[in-house]
Amino acid sequence: MKKILVLVVALILTVGIEAQQSPGKNHSKLNISCKTCHTCDVPTKDEPCLVACPRENIVTVYQKPEETPELIVIDQLSDRYESVHFSHKIHAQMSVMSGGCENCHHFNTSGPILKCNSCHETSRQRDDVSLPDLKGAYHRQCMDCHREWSHETGCNSCHTLKKNLTDTKRDNDKKKYTGKDHPPILEPAHISYQTNTDKGKLVTFYHDDHTKKFGISCVSCHKQENCTKCHDVNRESNDKLKTVSTKKTFEEQHKNCISCHKEDNCSSCHSSTKLEPFDHAKKTGWALSKYHINLSCAKCHGSKLPYKKVNKNCSSCHQGWNAETFKHSVTGLQLDEIHLELGCEDCHAENNFAKKPGCDGCHEDFNYPKQKPGKVVGK
Amino acid sequence: MSGKSRRDFLKKSALIGAGVAGFSTTTSKAAPKNILSEDRMGVLVDTTACVGCRNCEWACKDAHGLPAGNLESYEDRKILETKRRPDHTALTVVNEYPHGKNSNLPIDLKVQCMHCDHPACVSACIVGAFSKQENGSVIWDTDMCIGCRYCMAACPFQIPAFEYDKALNPLIMKCDFCFERTKEGKLPACVSICPVEALTYGPRTELIKIARSRIKRNPARYVDHIFGEYEVGGTSWMYLASKDFKELDFPNLGKNPAPGVSESIQHGIFAYFVPPVSLYALLGGIMWITKRRKELEEEGKI
Repeated sequence: MKKILVLVVALILTVGIEAQQSPGKNHSKLNISCKTCHTCDVPTKDEPCLVACPRENIVTVYQKPEETPELIVIDQLSDRYESVHFSHKIHAQMSVMSGGCENCHHFNTSGPILKCNSCHETSRQRDDVSLPDLKGAYHRQCMDCHREWSHETGCNSCHTLKKNLTDTKRDNDKKKYTGKDHPPILEPAHISYQTNTDKGKLVTFYHDDHTKKFGISCVSCHKQENCTKCHDVNRESNDKLKTVSTKKTFEEQHKNCISCHKEDNCSSCHSSTKLEPFDHAKKTGWALSKYHINLSCAKCHGSKLPYKKVNKNCSSCHQGWNAETFKHSVTGLQLDEIHLELGCEDCHAENNFAKKPGCDGCHEDFNYPKQKPGKVVGK
Repeated sequence: MSGKSRRDFLKKSALIGAGVAGFSTTTSKAAPKNILSEDRMGVLVDTTACVGCRNCEWACKDAHGLPAGNLESYEDRKILETKRRPDHTALTVVNEYPHGKNSNLPIDLKVQCMHCDHPACVSACIVGAFSKQENGSVIWDTDMCIGCRYCMAACPFQIPAFEYDKALNPLIMKCDFCFERTKEGKLPACVSICPVEALTYGPRTELIKIARSRIKRNPARYVDHIFGEYEVGGTSWMYLASKDFKELDFPNLGKNPAPGVSESIQHGIFAYFVPPVSLYALLGGIMWITKRRKELEEEGKI
């Protein structure tokens, strides 16, 4: 009876593992050559004739970091050390800016994410040594980044010796990442660059203008970022004047900025003195009122970068506004019954709302704001 | 009693003496073992994967009964600030070099005996203590070694070390490719412990194929050179790197086996008794000239 039970469990497990490795029902419709994974012309379910790992030029899956497992316990190889608690979600959140999921999940099929041991064998003594074994694969994945920013290769930053393990430590390791996101990144407010141009040596880049004011997402600029950019223990302060290396070509040097600042001239960024941060009134000649100050740029300028220019006229955005639909009280003045029936341009000449409204269209001696066409309600 | 035991001792000594004599004649008859098996094993060192944890140094000492200390003490990276050579206290060492192309990480490089396919030490050893084994390892018989240190002078990689600090019975020391461990079917100690498997143990021919495919798949990561594939006629240990090997203190060696040069000079000079014959001819010539001169002088006097 016991034997049968073991057999059944083993069968379920093998079926489970095989099912996990299948790239999904509709994978034949994907835009990848069948030869990427199959050696024969007509692969069947029984004879899939799969090429050996690693499979070249394969597409990988994408999963939102928030949907991925929070914590992965790596315990397959634990002997001297206790199993490792890997904060997967937090790492996935970082990977968005540094190469994406495929940074670790390389050569994945188009279906579900494969386990590392589907290609990397657990034993170091094996026939096919073309790929690193599981221990080697794990360590390479982790240490390539970790030693880059920590400048250390000690085992204890990830591992706990079994003899040093206590129940409290085990619990703490598990709780440490529960419900936690990657902490907000410490962004620089501004970075000053010393360039080698004749005119305007100094470039002041207001990082927080771009992220906070303009609401540009990190990933629009930082796609293949190195871990050390944020994590290096010897990281230099951003307040320091940075000298730009002159080895790069003009295109390479300006690549990141020019994708948006296509129409700007050199002096928009280059100056002999430190430039001021972005000010909507100074830059565009149109001060943001209290109604507009809290809006995202995209609300008026469209979500596509670079932002499109907008007419100063209210109706260029507020197309639905007319004398009947506009609630005048939001301006701080509730129009009385007589004035409510007038059209906008009767007071606001040529529908120009930036100019002071006039009363002289109807009234000879009246003027605004001395005499008001209604009740002040306050803004 | 004493007489009997003395006789026994003498008998035993005679037997042992005869045995040793017999044994030594059989071994001395055989030329230095220099097998180049098709299936010889090797190690591919991928220096782009090595993290410089120095666990291999510890494992090597541990496996060879050398004082190793505890593994945690190897985490100190200060030691990497100076370049070291393998010696009688450490048969392998890791050195660190500035980063190569396409990475900010330093290059860590494990140094040990390369286990040449045509070893200079085997050729130089005057007692035939050194041998190239079927599994690729170059080992030596401590009992046969007379401590002449010719192997140290011959090695193109300056690997064999000598226990100079020992007054009695100093030994030649070098990496033996964990000959005892591999005989038991185990992996070499360094290969076994490496956390990133920067050291791949396998048949040499297979390793060359793997190394080539790694370079082909990732040309930005590696320089297109497998050190040890052809150097000094090929070595069992081979290296991949992200930087020119000259910048990693690898000697610039030709493709010809190291012993080839010395052997061809020696064999060339001594072939067909050329030097003795020419020496005697020269001396004879001088004698003839002096004799002739004397004769002429005497004739002139008369």
